[in-house]
Amino acid sequence: MRTLFIAVGTAVTLFLGGCAHAPQAKADLSAFQAAAPRSILVVTPVNHSLDVDAPNYLLSTLAIPLAEKGFYVFPVNTTKVVLEQEGYYEGEQIQKQSPVDLAKLFGADAVLYVTINRWDAQYAVLAASVTVNFDYRIVFKDGTELWKTQQQMVYTPQATNAGNPLANLIAAAVTAALTRAAPDYLPLARQANGLALVTGPAAIPDGPYKPAK
Amino acid sequence: MTKAACLLVAALGLGGCAHHNTLYAWGGYDGLLYQSYKDPTKTAVLLTKLETHVLALEQGGAKVAPGLYAEVGTLYLQIGKADKATVYYTKERDAWPESRPLMDTLIAHVGDRKPVAPKAAMPAASTATEVKS
Repeated sequence: MRTLFIAVGTAVTLFLGGCAHAPQAKADLSAFQAAAPRSILVVTPVNHSLDVDAPNYLLSTLAIPLAEKGFYVFPVNTTKVVLEQEGYYEGEQIQKQSPVDLAKLFGADAVLYVTINRWDAQYAVLAASVTVNFDYRIVFKDGTELWKTQQQMVYTPQATNAGNPLANLIAAAVTAALTRAAPDYLPLARQANGLALVTGPAAIPDGPYKPAK
Repeated sequence: MTKAACLLVAALGLGGCAHHNTLYAWGGYDGLLYQSYKDPTKTAVLLTKLETHVLALEQGGAKVAPGLYAEVGTLYLQIGKADKATVYYTKERDAWPESRPLMDTLIAHVGDRKPVAPKAAMPAASTATEVKS
């Protein structure tokens, strides 16, 4: 009987312990806060997807969330053009360079590196879904890594329910066909950036231009 | 009647709050840039819309978002308009102290027709150049 009590007690304790540990996912931002960068350079992402256009498309969505977070963000297209003048076209080439040199070249306090793990659409007979998955990493001008996270977003278009099985099937087929013709990655990329950098549990601290609340 | 008016005020107020959550007006910058990468013939649209946007913000006395002036400058430089590029690079430099080293270098080299990076801090990407030539 006593053993049963102990067993139950232990189980409860373990359970509570599990609960207490669950929401500890809060990121360690002390290195970022100590470095307190004012400006962030965003370079062309590394591409591990099969879509050769993905890095440029993603690049176009990265400046706004960082600037809205209160940082000076170097103009992303100007940065891309300057690096291309120097012979750096691909994200992989750029990430192989020393972040110290890169930051010095632009006079930046920190560099944001992004790697595209997924940028694709999956098709079933009557449905489709689009997936993006990115690694984000911010490195200080002295080479110290200040922050990193990973973010995935999946979009599955919801066909409107017409209340009639045949109509629903047709609607689903139309949705799948539309997604197949032109999957729109931009809203997904924006959502992933917003969660990773601004609103998610691992979001970066506010920059100097964010007014204190 | 008054209840409806209150609700309306509340709704407007919330709308106002939502608007103030952004630091800057971007004028569709990300979408326009995306379109220009997707279809380079849209680069002219990007330049026109971005320039119109920043000039409207200036007239309204609003702060122009980081980088937008410089992006307009680079788009001008790419179509050979060095004078315009200088004007916009100077605006970026004066609006954002963090941009000064880069803008000063870009301004010093507008005559070269294309943006040049500040002093070669990084080794030249020789492998890439060889592949290209």
